Amino acid sequence: GAEINDTFSCLFMVLLWTLSLTPVFFCRCLLDSLEPHFTECISRDQETFRCWWSPGSFHNLSSPGALKVFYLRKVSPVSEWKECPEYIHSKRECFFDVNYTSVWVPYCIQLRGQNNITFDDACFTVENIVRPDPPVSLNWTLLNISPSGLSYDVMVNWEPPPTADVEAGWMRIVYEIQYRERNSTYWEALEVQPHTQKTIYGLHIGKEYEVHIRSRMQAFSKFGEFSDPIFIHVTELYSEETTFPLTFILVFGTLGILILLMLILIFQQQRFMMILLPPVPAPKIKGIDAELLKKGKLDELNLILSGGIGGLHTYAPDFYPDEPWVEFIEVDPEDSAAGEKEDHQGSDTQRLLGLPPPVSLNHHLNIGCSSTISFPDDDSGRASCYGPDVPNQDTLILMAALLPGQAEEEEATLDEVERAPSPEGGESHFVQSQTAGSHTWVNTDFYAQVSNVMPSGGVVLSPGQQLRIQESTLSAEKEMQRKGKEIGACEETGEKKQKGLQFQLLVVDPEGGSYTTESTARQISAAPNSPTPSEGYQTIPPQPADAKPAATAEDNQSPYILPDSPQAPFFAPVGDYTVVQEVDSQHSLLLNPPPNLSPHPCMPQQPLKALPATPVAYVTPDLLGNLSP
Amino acid sequence: MLGYIRSVPAVWRVLVCLVFCRNLTSIGAAPICTNAQTGCQALSLANLFDRVIQHSARMHGISNDLHSEFEQYFLPSKNQIGRVSRNCHTSTILTPNGKENAQRMAREELTEVILKLLMAWRDPLWRFHQGMAHNHDFNNFSSNKALEMSDMVHELRKGVEKVADKMQMLGIISNSVSSQVSPEALLPSDSAEWHLMRDYDLLYCFRRDSNKVQNYLKILKCRIVPEHGC
Repeated sequence: GAEINDTFSCLFMVLLWTLSLTPVFFCRCLLDSLEPHFTECISRDQETFRCWWSPGSFHNLSSPGALKVFYLRKVSPVSEWKECPEYIHSKRECFFDVNYTSVWVPYCIQLRGQNNITFDDACFTVENIVRPDPPVSLNWTLLNISPSGLSYDVMVNWEPPPTADVEAGWMRIVYEIQYRERNSTYWEALEVQPHTQKTIYGLHIGKEYEVHIRSRMQAFSKFGEFSDPIFIHVTELYSEETTFPLTFILVFGTLGILILLMLILIFQQQRFMMILLPPVPAPKIKGIDAELLKKGKLDELNLILSGGIGGLHTYAPDFYPDEPWVEFIEVDPEDSAAGEKEDHQGSDTQRLLGLPPPVSLNHHLNIGCSSTISFPDDDSGRASCYGPDVPNQDTLILMAALLPGQAEEEEATLDEVERAPSPEGGESHFVQSQTAGSHTWVNTDFYAQVSNVMPSGGVVLSPGQQLRIQESTLSAEKEMQRKGKEIGACEETGEKKQKGLQFQLLVVDPEGGSYTTESTARQISAAPNSPTPSEGYQTIPPQPADAKPAATAEDNQSPYILPDSPQAPFFAPVGDYTVVQEVDSQHSLLLNPPPNLSPHPCMPQQPLKALPATPVAYVTPDLLGNLSP
Repeated sequence: MLGYIRSVPAVWRVLVCLVFCRNLTSIGAAPICTNAQTGCQALSLANLFDRVIQHSARMHGISNDLHSEFEQYFLPSKNQIGRVSRNCHTSTILTPNGKENAQRMAREELTEVILKLLMAWRDPLWRFHQGMAHNHDFNNFSSNKALEMSDMVHELRKGVEKVADKMQMLGIISNSVSSQVSPEALLPSDSAEWHLMRDYDLLYCFRRDSNKVQNYLKILKCRIVPEHGC
């Protein structure tokens, strides 16, 4: 029995000894709940540290002073246990202040009860038990919001814990931020870093977030406690305010652009129509008014087209079998429109050679086609000029255009001129001298119209253009005011044999209207050919008096017929070329005389009826109604 | 001729500089030169301090990692009392044990303490690495860390020497700092004590000393050039 008791007590003692050796401080065995032990030793600033203990289940030892703490500091080879320098019994804490704290020095502490029973002990070094305080002054600022308006970034700032002496470099602290959504239980931890600010990316609008921070010593693992959390909440109102004006601007911008486009389309409609649907050139037949087609007066149309009474000169070659081939010479409107009118008096040759034309003795004789063509003229044949000013200015154009000739005709023209009334002689000589003074070859025109083709094969050419011009100029000036001219012309023309003179040139008075007088018209129509065997051109000087279209010559009651002008015009024999057909702005027609009707011009007083088909300058649409075959 | 002679120490400095620069490139440092040589740029004292502090922090981190690994592998006795008797071989070097003590200490003394500590650990760490390399119980990761640790001690010592030279040049410290270590601090290679000291204790001691070095360097820096980072 005693042996058993001894054994049992021995075992018990061994057990107790073993238990005493067991570091309850680090052991999580069941005995912890029974014995007093140290709970924790912490240093906040690496200059002081505290240790807490617990009486365990030994409640009788919970009273202050029942348990004691002893420590050992291995600063010297010989060290001894000392009691806790400062007790705080309310917390069951032993506080070691600066004087008792040595870093990098091993410490051992013991929890002793009565009779030096050691309940617990522990050893450590101060740098290993450092847990810094949490940072202070934690706040956040909004960095930016994503363009989608769904997430944002936040910058969090804080101050290092005041207990940690960071300024002296004694403690090097690193921080760890954690955040979570309000209702979540999982904390999102960001990377540990030593700076006192951190950016949190990708927070969601409308959700509330909780953020807290803790710190630890660099290269150590023990964290301090967490700080008090702060809350981050960015509502959707803020984001809506930023996006609202954007959508507003977009919508109104689009509307504005659309309205602008519509306005452009409306006001520039014509231009767009021109671009998109270019106008189809209307069918134009020379000399035919489109109104005729509209009014449906087919009879008159047929008359005109067939070249009947007052009809148009058509290009049907069979109608005028003896007519020479009509050639169109294009007159450049730009040359004539610009500059002085006198400059355009020269012949084609002169123009081609670039020579200055002879001085115009009659300023009325203007070659000018004041082209008022604003739109491209799609008509074929550019020899005609359009516009209201045409009648005033196309005098010399017509003359020049239709008066080719050769130098060899010079004598003929001169003869012609000489045959003019004697008062003209001087002038003719003047003309002759004038012409002779210039280069002889100038007077040779480049263009010569073939008046007729001889059966033998020869070609009859019309007289020179330049001489014609001068002649007409001179003659128009000098003889215009005399009836003698008329007579002379009559004589002249009477002497001349005309052969197939059908075409007459109508000269338009630049000052007056677009019509020649009745007498003029008669004379024009009746003017025979040039005295030369080869039919040449005759120019008709312009008349100051307004004229009346020849078509109405038949009708004395036509309003356009004016009383006889005091100045009888001088009519040179009409050349081979016909009047250029044109339609002026008043929709008048420029007609050609019928081929076989050419009454004697020396009967100016003949009624117009003697010239049944004498074509005059223009036929107005109203007059067409009066036409009767 | 004289110019050539004078240029020799300059060349030597350049070589030293280049060696040190190469070693310090692991932490992203530009070449350091004491005087402005071609290819190097003279750094400020604050910059030098930052570099060495960064280096020491890294060294301490590695030592901490290794120590934790050893703690897992070897599970030393929880009875820490036995550890109290453990004596690191650098215990003979007088080091300040508190903030006031460190701040009260003269700059030259503090710098000298740092250099002594670093000098004392050069050989033991090298032998430790050798022991780990041959011991198959350790994985390559730990062995590499041990090698890195011993290299870092070597480089850190050189860096601190440069800092000391710079300080002396600037007149911050009076006399030159000697890195001579008292013989008792150095462990003889074949002493019995060395063999008794186990690797775990070595790591424990080295972790403590690297922390000391880091702390002292930081205190020195914040005392001399308290710019950013203090």
